[in-house]
Amino acid sequence: MNGAEAMVRCLELEGITRIFGYPGVAIAPFYEGLYHSSIEHILVRQEQNAGHAASGFARVSRRTAVCTVTSGPGATNLITALATAYADSIPIVAISGQVSSDLLGRDVFQEADMRGATESFVKHSYLVKDPDDIPRIFKEAFYIASTGRKGPVLIDVPMDVQNRKLRKPFAYPDGVSIRGYKPEIKVNMSQFRRVVEAIDKAEKPLICAGGGVILGNGEQAVRDFCEKFNIPVVHTMMGMGVMPKKHPLNFGMLGNNGKPYANKAVRRADLLVIVGARLADRAIPQPENLKSRTIIHIDIDTAEIGKNMGPTIPLVGDAGEIFRLLLNEDISPAGREWIGELEDIKHSTVDRRVFSDKLVNPNILVQKLSEKMDDDAVYVADVGQNQLWSADNYVMKEGRFLTTGGMGTMGYSIPAAVGAKLFDPSKQVVAVTGDGAFQMSMNEFASIKINEVDIKVIVVRNGFLGLVREYQNNTYGEHYIGVRLREWPRYDKIAEAYDMPYFECSSNEELDERLDEFLACREASLMVVNVDGEDKVK
Amino acid sequence: MKGIFSVLVENRDGVLSGISGLFARRGFNIDSLAVGETDNHEISSMTIVSTGDQRTIDQIEKQLNKKVDVIKVRRLSEARSVCLEMMLIKLAYTATNRSSIIELCQITGARILKVTPKHLILEYHAPTDEVEDFIQMVKSFGIAEVQRTGAIAMEYK
Repeated sequence: MNGAEAMVRCLELEGITRIFGYPGVAIAPFYEGLYHSSIEHILVRQEQNAGHAASGFARVSRRTAVCTVTSGPGATNLITALATAYADSIPIVAISGQVSSDLLGRDVFQEADMRGATESFVKHSYLVKDPDDIPRIFKEAFYIASTGRKGPVLIDVPMDVQNRKLRKPFAYPDGVSIRGYKPEIKVNMSQFRRVVEAIDKAEKPLICAGGGVILGNGEQAVRDFCEKFNIPVVHTMMGMGVMPKKHPLNFGMLGNNGKPYANKAVRRADLLVIVGARLADRAIPQPENLKSRTIIHIDIDTAEIGKNMGPTIPLVGDAGEIFRLLLNEDISPAGREWIGELEDIKHSTVDRRVFSDKLVNPNILVQKLSEKMDDDAVYVADVGQNQLWSADNYVMKEGRFLTTGGMGTMGYSIPAAVGAKLFDPSKQVVAVTGDGAFQMSMNEFASIKINEVDIKVIVVRNGFLGLVREYQNNTYGEHYIGVRLREWPRYDKIAEAYDMPYFECSSNEELDERLDEFLACREASLMVVNVDGEDKVK
Repeated sequence: MKGIFSVLVENRDGVLSGISGLFARRGFNIDSLAVGETDNHEISSMTIVSTGDQRTIDQIEKQLNKKVDVIKVRRLSEARSVCLEMMLIKLAYTATNRSSIIELCQITGARILKVTPKHLILEYHAPTDEVEDFIQMVKSFGIAEVQRTGAIAMEYK
């Protein structure tokens, strides 16, 4: 058995059935191994998309996903996707080919120092020097990616290591022993008691749920807890889906892109329970304003606690586990007055934004779309105005809302939707993107078509890089520069080029009909929704 | 404030750059960094001295702990630790000041390692602030070169 065959065997033993990648010479031995394996390889059209597709696959499957690229430019193209997965804590194992060990450091053809280049974008990385290390390294990589605060792990494998025979018989370890990595965290019971007391004492408690709740499979525990003790919830963008949108205890997304009433709820609360959230600048722009409240911060990553905001009571651990423990505590439920107060705030908050009636109102688009989508559908929002309109209006039921909240990587939605759909073809998957982001990953249409990935792609088109245009408008007046996308491409012709059904909608009146036709399609299809370039998110 | 970290790490390639990169990209300051193998060849020990406010020092400790190749991080208290660094210093001497230099060495415990017709190389080890003082004291003799190891530290409790 050579190194490449060992790599494939490790993936099989990890239960990997599908990987996303783009081959090249430096990873060719591994591909030869794949040729003899039942693992399905999905050829993307640019390496970054292999990473995003793995991200979509990992998020929906709640398991580690795998992508693979060749050395040099193939590997560097993947870095943006790794950084995206790292910011959003998505478990991915990325395998990159590398030039032969004896050539390392000589700047030969297609050599890039991937370990060095990805140092700040991965949870951990390996440069494999001996094929006999492959089983241990793969076991460790999958373990590190999927435990503690999840994240991407890179395995860089020089070509000669892939080709060299193992000296010892292949044996996949049962467990790992890494001196410096002990992710199993036992909940500190004295801190836990302080948390229970604080919640019990609070008159106006508020849960602020982040993406960590979903990563810790803790949605149900948080819902049960809130329902049992009548505690309201606000959430970050990555925490969308912790509570269904129409749940009476859900008071929306906080932050400067969120609902004003969610932010008011944060200001009115006397106790904030922040769980699985970094509370970066977009969620809490001025943490110093919250100093007078009791703040409980629950996170699996010790380093997140106190990084952006000093909590009163820190508690390190898995969100799901902690809320399951909290559920059994004797806590006096929050009073009706508090929920009443929040409802009053919600109902008295007037949306003063004005949307053009010239074309389609993007808010109505997302509202109608979410009414029509399946309850358990996957909605993938890209980055830009489309993302904020989506987060603002999507009525989350029992499905998933995927977006990149941490890195904000344009072009994420289409490849991530491919990954999500390939994991569970029975689920409806809709990618909503802007015309800017679309043009960053529309090359994936080929892979979508060839692999018969039935995803629905909606382009919210306004001919601008809308969010940047909005920023230029708000900051510099009407000094628009570098933001006009204009009339091209001709989207109907893009769809035609890939033999895909095409739909277009330019008015609120025809929206129902177009969306119905579009969603009824039994194959991948493209819909362009024209909105006015003047429409803003705020 | 000053933070002295004693960090045990896997003795592997790339680990040092990973740690120094962590400091660089988060804007943490490294005052000094000393690395060497421990009695176990698989493990290296680093002493990192850094300055920053309380939150920065706390973050450094937490971020170091997150690295998979970091086995153990300890924050040492200056009051309860032995903390030293070593310096090699090359001085240009003249017939008139040579005896003053030798006298200074006798008082401070610095050793003369090498004498050449123009230069003396001295070795001096002491806590960082005393090393700084020593440099000030010999400045007037004419310093040709200075090499410092950075501090290493050990807690005695």
